[in-house]
Amino acid sequence: MIRLQNVNKYFYKDEPREVHALVDINLIIEDGEFTLFSGPSGCGKTTLLNAIGALDTIDSGKIFLDELEISLLNEKERTRIRLNKMGFVFQAYNLVPVLSVEENIGFIMKLQGFSDAQIKERVQEVASLLKIDNKLQSLPNTLSGGQQQRVAVARAVASKPKIILADEPTANLDSKNSQTLIEMMLELNEKEGISVVFASHDELIKESVRRIVRLEDGMLV
Amino acid sequence: MFKLILKMAWKNSFVRPVRTLLVVLMIAISMGMMLGIEGLYDGMSQNMAEKNKRSDSGDISIFAKDYRINKELKFRIQNAAKIEEELQKNPQIRSLVLRLSADGLVSTARKSSFAQARGIDLDDEEAFGKFSEFLEEGELLLGDKNAIIGIELAKTLKVNVGSKVVFSTQDSSGEINSIALKISAIVQTSNIILDNNALFIDKKKMFAFLGVDAKDATQIAIASDDAKLLNILKTKYPTLDVKSFFELQPMMQMMEDMMVIFNSITFFIIMSVVFVGIFGVMYVSVLDRIREFGIMLAVGMEYKYIRLQIYFEAIFVGLIGFFSGSLLGLLLLIYLRDYGLDFSAFADALQSWGYETIIYGTIKLSYFTTTFLAIMSASVLSVIIPLRKIKNLNPIEVIKAEK
Repeated sequence: MIRLQNVNKYFYKDEPREVHALVDINLIIEDGEFTLFSGPSGCGKTTLLNAIGALDTIDSGKIFLDELEISLLNEKERTRIRLNKMGFVFQAYNLVPVLSVEENIGFIMKLQGFSDAQIKERVQEVASLLKIDNKLQSLPNTLSGGQQQRVAVARAVASKPKIILADEPTANLDSKNSQTLIEMMLELNEKEGISVVFASHDELIKESVRRIVRLEDGMLV
Repeated sequence: MFKLILKMAWKNSFVRPVRTLLVVLMIAISMGMMLGIEGLYDGMSQNMAEKNKRSDSGDISIFAKDYRINKELKFRIQNAAKIEEELQKNPQIRSLVLRLSADGLVSTARKSSFAQARGIDLDDEEAFGKFSEFLEEGELLLGDKNAIIGIELAKTLKVNVGSKVVFSTQDSSGEINSIALKISAIVQTSNIILDNNALFIDKKKMFAFLGVDAKDATQIAIASDDAKLLNILKTKYPTLDVKSFFELQPMMQMMEDMMVIFNSITFFIIMSVVFVGIFGVMYVSVLDRIREFGIMLAVGMEYKYIRLQIYFEAIFVGLIGFFSGSLLGLLLLIYLRDYGLDFSAFADALQSWGYETIIYGTIKLSYFTTTFLAIMSASVLSVIIPLRKIKNLNPIEVIKAEK
């Protein structure tokens, strides 16, 4: 479970151009939830996602991952939390270009210290679910955008994180690939029980998620 | 993880193959050239040292005290034959030779010059320093009336093989004596002093001419590779003047020192070239992949792994450059060792300094180990600034920038 209590975040604090990006956010995301942060551009979706993902710090308030207050952690501890508890899917896939699909999917597990056999087994399992098991030996640049994004999802899922944070994951995909990706993530959410939080404008995602959290000017509405 | 990082580093080293190849070429060519110059310079000074040892001092020379200052016969080694006998029992001594020298005046009908008559035994000199290899003209004969002359002295006196000269000096009783000699050969030892002044005369003839006991000598030259021998001999013969090659030839010592300076300069030049080359490649490479590193940090990869990867990338480029440069340098050094470089155009200048006109290179393992250290140090140092760029990277900025 993720719990946010009175979270505030400013950009350019104490400067004339100060922006109050998150305003007193109180939110609970239960385990296994499939949630969408929605709202107009600049409303604070990505900022909120980054704060939950321990990528960014907050100026006040508290963020808990289960009982652990992640808003108190230092940089090194936040890196460790991101590695072991979270999975990330970005708009631009961001795969390691010199590694094969198989190595990209197993990359986080490798960082976590899993054995090669464990990684191989899990990579095969996730790749089958995402229907990229026939591309395991390919390099990312030989795949289509949709396939690359599935590899990115597989990488995020492979290590069985507590939560997957996906920032505009369908922004670079056509509607068909977007639909396929959402369906696959829904399937993963059900099968693996991993919480998924999206930040997106995509109407397709809105139709698919069970919970929509709307933001406007940094506030929940 | 280590294996994966190595793999990523190796593959990333060739993401832009042309760029990497250019740096490798830059390292290889500069290193190859430097090794060639180093070998040639080393070969030049080694060759000079070796000829000096063979023609004169050996690795160690023994004189009577004060002889080297006064060069008078009264300062000769008395009963040198006994010392010779003792030294011959020493297994550390490869060979040794006894000489009797006297400074004097050599003259023809028209010219005269200072000269040093050196009483030698040709067989002993051949065994000691392959004297026959110094022959330039004529035949190596030291009969009753023959003399062998240094090439520069022959030029000064304008004598050729067959010419006659008179050598005058003070004998052991203080009388001025002369001896008429016929030049049987001209030699070039590449030892400036000998080439300018030496007149080689049969040792037995020299003993009789100077009125010196046949057991005496002015110099005992010893060939030995044992570095400890000098101190052993100094202790054993405290009444004699035991000197090492470098003590006798300070110029050679200076050349050795110059070699150390030269090697240091080479080290820094190579290091600078490698530093600039790898720094350029790594800096651009890191900028090219800044998003990749930002994402790696975002998904939980620790900075230390990225640092390791960057170090490996730089080391791979450095290593490939080193091996290519070693190959190029080795080929160049083998050519220089076997065929040498012909500097005939500068023959007069080189010979006046005791160098040969064809200079041969040497090959030493130290050329490669020093360069290896230089390249590895430069490789590691060159990524410090690119690494700082990654260390200061904020993953959020990278993620924002991609939108």
